[in-house]
Amino acid sequence: MKTVTKFLAILLTLAATAPAEVRLPKYTREVLPNGAVVYLMPKPGVPLVNFRILVKGGVEADPGGLAGLTAVTAQLLRSGTARRAASQFSAELDSLGGTFTAGANEQYTVIGSEFLSKDLAAGLDLTADAVLHPVFPESEVKKAIARNVDGARAAKDNPQAAIGQYFRAFFYGPAHPYGHPAEEASLTRITRESIADYAKRLYVGRNMVVIVAGDFDTAAAGAALRKTFSEVPAGTAYAWAKDATPMPGGRLLLIDKPDATQTYFEIAQPGISRTDPERTALQLLNTLFGGRFTSLLNDALRVNSGLTYGARSMLDLNRRPGAITISTYTRTETTEKAMDMALDILKRLNENGISAEQLASAKAYMKGMYPTQALETPDQLAAMLGDIEVFGLNRGEVDDLFSRIDAVTLEHANALAKKWFRQNDLTFVVLGNASKVRDVVKKYAPVVKETKASEPGFAVAVN
Amino acid sequence: MRVFLFSVLCLLSVPRMQSMLRAQQGEVKSHVLPNGLKVLIQEDHNVPNVALYFFYRIGSRNERPGTTGVSHFFEHMMFNGAKKFGPKQFDNEMEKAGGSNNAYTTQDVTVYTDWFPTTALELMFDMEADRMQNLAFDPKIVESERGVVYSERRTSVDNSNGGLLYEQMRAAAFTAHPYHWPVVGWPSDIESWTMDDLRAHYKTGYAPNNCVMVVVGDVTEAQVMALTKKYLEPIPQQPPPPAIRTKEPEQNGERRVTVRKQAQLPLQLVAFHVPDAKSPDTTVLEVIDALLTAGQSSRLYSRMVDKDQVALNVGAQAGRSLDPGLFVFSVTPRSGVDPARTEKTLFEEIERLRKENVAEDELTKAKNQMLAQHYKQLKTIAGRANLLGTFEVFRGDYNKLFTSDKDIEAVTAADVRRVAAKYFDEKNRTVATLIPEAK
Repeated sequence: MKTVTKFLAILLTLAATAPAEVRLPKYTREVLPNGAVVYLMPKPGVPLVNFRILVKGGVEADPGGLAGLTAVTAQLLRSGTARRAASQFSAELDSLGGTFTAGANEQYTVIGSEFLSKDLAAGLDLTADAVLHPVFPESEVKKAIARNVDGARAAKDNPQAAIGQYFRAFFYGPAHPYGHPAEEASLTRITRESIADYAKRLYVGRNMVVIVAGDFDTAAAGAALRKTFSEVPAGTAYAWAKDATPMPGGRLLLIDKPDATQTYFEIAQPGISRTDPERTALQLLNTLFGGRFTSLLNDALRVNSGLTYGARSMLDLNRRPGAITISTYTRTETTEKAMDMALDILKRLNENGISAEQLASAKAYMKGMYPTQALETPDQLAAMLGDIEVFGLNRGEVDDLFSRIDAVTLEHANALAKKWFRQNDLTFVVLGNASKVRDVVKKYAPVVKETKASEPGFAVAVN
Repeated sequence: MRVFLFSVLCLLSVPRMQSMLRAQQGEVKSHVLPNGLKVLIQEDHNVPNVALYFFYRIGSRNERPGTTGVSHFFEHMMFNGAKKFGPKQFDNEMEKAGGSNNAYTTQDVTVYTDWFPTTALELMFDMEADRMQNLAFDPKIVESERGVVYSERRTSVDNSNGGLLYEQMRAAAFTAHPYHWPVVGWPSDIESWTMDDLRAHYKTGYAPNNCVMVVVGDVTEAQVMALTKKYLEPIPQQPPPPAIRTKEPEQNGERRVTVRKQAQLPLQLVAFHVPDAKSPDTTVLEVIDALLTAGQSSRLYSRMVDKDQVALNVGAQAGRSLDPGLFVFSVTPRSGVDPARTEKTLFEEIERLRKENVAEDELTKAKNQMLAQHYKQLKTIAGRANLLGTFEVFRGDYNKLFTSDKDIEAVTAADVRRVAAKYFDEKNRTVATLIPEAK
């Protein structure tokens, strides 16, 4: 046993040195004559190659009254191209064992595909065909819209999915580009013409980012990408919308779902953008507040009281400032207790701040989790490069992360807790059996609105 | 529309995918300790992190009426304090060291999953060994955790149309075998578990000889084995859980279940009894799953979602379970579509599979999808730890992971037809439908 112990001691001494930094693997960035930006990140290992193509604009670019247009356009890319019918595209993709997804977030459309490295050429051909040559056949457009309308309805059968859509409409409001979730009415207004027009305007060189990450030959892939994406018309870069702020707080939306046996609720206030200089410090604070299992919220609402299966907080990091949101659920009878408790935790963070020990723990947690969250797989790395480009960051986003974490002092963190985790002017969204919680939730906000989950759509008149 | 016609007529030739399962990853080192603990180690220095998984061979199949759900409840209790590390310490110490964890319980196993930087390796061994042998049972914590589990049930079953229908479907498909009851437990049992139930469960399932430990990541074999010897080898073995005696009697006629609930859209589940994970037919059933539901070119997606537009989505699950389980189809009919219609279409496609040989290209496509999917699960240290443990426990040998491509490759069109004909029989079928109720 002695030798084992000694051996162990040596090994553990070696292992006990935590990495002082993490580094993004090497990559190249090239701007094609038409403005398209091409990133190549070779990373030998698992023989997979990941394509990630971004089209700037995202949900923000949905024209008024056509919420969902960005996402439906993305979905239809594979449903018929100049060279392939929808069925042909699927057959070829599936035969390669490839994956292809297309969707949208607040600031860009993202087309992601992944293939075995040996299929790089075939995978690129399929992916580029969808992005560059979609024809949006009328019959496919009709099918996609009808399916999305039913999807919006089906979301009402899943309270956790539904509350997020209601939240978006209620928190940001109709004047904000993020305040328009796709719903039955807006989807029904989308036509083939609006889709084709959208693609023509936005799927252009000046608006496109093309990323390849994984195990591949850089020279060959670079040449193929350059050739393929040079043919895109340069077009006009998307003009980001003017500044907009969420609706003022002090409002509560109650969504009635009479068969619910538990109440789902979100409590939010305005937060920061993806590029805010305080983002690292706020991520640390959010980790402690509701970003991990031992967080203040989960510890109080789950571990100490058994009120819920989970309580958390989210820090949106988008192009424009988003929300800091408390999110949880509890059985109908304990709605008030859980909401009061969540608010009390918020109050304590705001007034008392955090301790040096908590800050050290959050720092270690963020550093420890980061490699497997952001740097392990080709798709994670491609996603990071996309953010660097769209948000105007640089490789320091990764390479300097640990030093940014180290630089956050207790004093500064507590000043930020006071500034960003406020107790007043909060926005509440509550989904549950309204007949049982209506009287209870009135006390949380001077303005209370109510809607029924059985009604179409997610937006309610906010004034 | 000329180009489309051309595309459809252009016959597709599907090349076979070559195996790459073993090529890219380090060798798996296997050890069995004197106390029966099986240890699997795979070094991977891509990221400075480790995935440490403990597969305990105990799940809801080891329960009995009155204590259903106790395996899952116990999984929660494993985080609530032992001898050296008290309440909350497992999570606090782990997160402080940069790690995070989770756990899951199925009908067959309870699995604890730890992800952390290599610097926390010894701490994790210390804490896992502590809770494997010296768990504490605090009555106050038991009561609080009961509330947490009930909330989990309310979220995943009572307020989830899919969860509710699935529970009722299983209860109808299994009349005798423990797969009859839900992993989370019946509500009345959740309310009634006692301290003695928990203690008995601990004694039955939590011993090194009932466990497989998998370590994948930035470690060396020597480092892991030194820690294993120090922390896990001293833990004594115990008698393994009693064998499951009850076998599900053969089903001799279709069973139908209806759930009425407020809903926007109906839901449908169609289940057939199939053999256990070690049966060679299981791989054929997985190929059938891929043929019918993997990708938009699959038979059910292209017919039901795309062409006929009768379903919002379709899925299938070729379950791999320790005892004979279920192959389950799931369908969300579109609004205004009578579930009788989606059911009829599904049965037609199943019948086609029973009557006609699938074309070679279509079969190869399904196999390629399975291999690529399999391969993608190996991208992360966590994915690999889970697959190694799953193959060891459910297939009897982790090495089968590296030959699974050959098993898939060996499946023929005749196998597909034979297996479909054998199991997808009307008499062997349970049909569960959720019908939206007026508000």
